[in-house]
Amino acid sequence: MNKTEKALREIQAMGELAAMDSPIHRLAPLAKLLVTVAYIFVTVSFSKYDMTGLLIMILYPVAGYQLSLIPVYTCFYKLRIVLPLVCAVGIFNPFFDRGIVMTLGTVSISGGVISMLTLLMKGVFCLMASFLLVATTSIEEICHALRQLHVPKILTSLLLLTWRYVSLLLEQVSIMTQSYHLRAPGQKGIHVSAWGSFLGQLILRSMDRAAALYESMELRGFHGDFYYAGQKKMTAASWLYMVVWIGLFILMRAYNLPQILGSLFV
Amino acid sequence: MDMICFEDVTFAYEKENMVLDHLSFSIKEGEQVGLIGANGAGKSTLMKAMLGLISYEGHIYVDGQEVKPQNYAAVRKTLGYVLQDSDNQMFMPTVFEDMIFGPVNYGMSREEAEERVEETLARMGLLHLKNRHNYKLSGGEKRMAAIATILAMEPKGMLMDEPSTALDPRNRRRLIEVLNELPVTKLIATHDLDLVLETCDRVLLLDDGKIAADGAAGEILRDKELLERHNLELPFCLAGVRVKLRSDT
Ligand SMILES: Nc1ncnc2c1ncn2[C@@H]1O[C@H](COP(=O)(O)OP(=O)(O)OP(=O)(O)O)[C@@H](O)[C@H]1O
Ligand SMILES: [Mg+2]
Repeated sequence: MNKTEKALREIQAMGELAAMDSPIHRLAPLAKLLVTVAYIFVTVSFSKYDMTGLLIMILYPVAGYQLSLIPVYTCFYKLRIVLPLVCAVGIFNPFFDRGIVMTLGTVSISGGVISMLTLLMKGVFCLMASFLLVATTSIEEICHALRQLHVPKILTSLLLLTWRYVSLLLEQVSIMTQSYHLRAPGQKGIHVSAWGSFLGQLILRSMDRAAALYESMELRGFHGDFYYAGQKKMTAASWLYMVVWIGLFILMRAYNLPQILGSLFV
Repeated sequence: MDMICFEDVTFAYEKENMVLDHLSFSIKEGEQVGLIGANGAGKSTLMKAMLGLISYEGHIYVDGQEVKPQNYAAVRKTLGYVLQDSDNQMFMPTVFEDMIFGPVNYGMSREEAEERVEETLARMGLLHLKNRHNYKLSGGEKRMAAIATILAMEPKGMLMDEPSTALDPRNRRRLIEVLNELPVTKLIATHDLDLVLETCDRVLLLDDGKIAADGAAGEILRDKELLERHNLELPFCLAGVRVKLRSDT
């Protein structure tokens, strides 16, 4: 299996994750979408030195992965390419922000270190939450939920089609590299002399297939609405899930729960 | 009443190279028509024209409505189209979701649609594929599933582009049975002339964008000279083919 094919399989496997069954999978997409958005919003809004307050936000992704029966490992594995980037965002903070904000025994910790860690946590938490949504909700369901929120058709269609076309493009690359290697044994990669035609063919072919697929959707009555993905209604459980989590997020943001809990025991 | 009517339809992908050359013919409601012709004769193109997927000159009417942008939705609901390439036909993650897509989009309730999908799968003997992922199907399974997605829409007319390619003998037989049980108007483009003999009353022979012959299936498909003139051969069952086995020499 070549690299592109692997990437393709991984994207397709996302669909399989979303097709699994669990209490979270059964919830209405709209509820999950809103909870995710609220989560990201609240997480990002923590101040850059509020590491202890932020810590408690991990509750949501951890609970989510437990309930949806998806191992957290999958998330980190699939996001292994973007994770380092997210982690690197605050990497220079310790150099710029040297003011000491905290001492642990004899070690003094600068504001830069704290803010770096906070940023890192924010990034990782938000990634975990977004992945949870995508892994428990199919792309069609997400688009349907967005439509319920009156997001314009053009945007939801764009989202859906981008998702489809990415896998289509990867599939084309994978097919073409395979056929190339079958007739060019022993070559590593694709020879420079073939790059031009390879790329040109790739673009033409993917465009052709993309058009054909879109036509095929139109032929079966697609006009930018996702009726077919709307079978999961806002049940009592969905409402409860949404209200409880969003309520908790607000509590976690308003009060520094770890500190309060800590002070109970001092 | 005419289900499909072509009036002087002309089309070319690239100028000079006429693919549909002043075509005129009509197909009555309930007729079963085989569309035959050598590779590149224009069969697939003719089907695309009927659905408004290419812009041609002339007029095409489907179920009394002219094929033009404001009627596309109605025309496409009337005619189900099985594409020559099943990979382009299926776009949802699983067979079931793909099959439910059309009916639900055309306003059927989820429950009804699910029932219809089950029924169609049973009729095609495909129940075991229901929850399979599309990209994990074999070539022939994909073909059967693609045909099922269109059958599930229960269109008034069906356009099928090479429905029997990639099918094993048993699935091909099943397809023929399903087609014969289905009373709707059908236009079947294929190189499988035996299938035409078993499913169609009438045959249109296309060559170089023109209708070279139009008549009863039994007559045209028996006319060896006519077929050979248009780069085709007699159907196996009529040719009395005596295959010379390599191992016998
Ligand atoms: N997108 C395209 N651009 C340019 N020419 C095309 C295109 N698609 C098809 N053609 C040409 O148009 C002619 C008719 O093609 P068409 O696909 O309709 O043939 P067909 O009868 O379906 O053949 P087959 O039996 O091989 O499927 C062919 O000569 C083909 O090369
Ligand atoms: Mg064709």
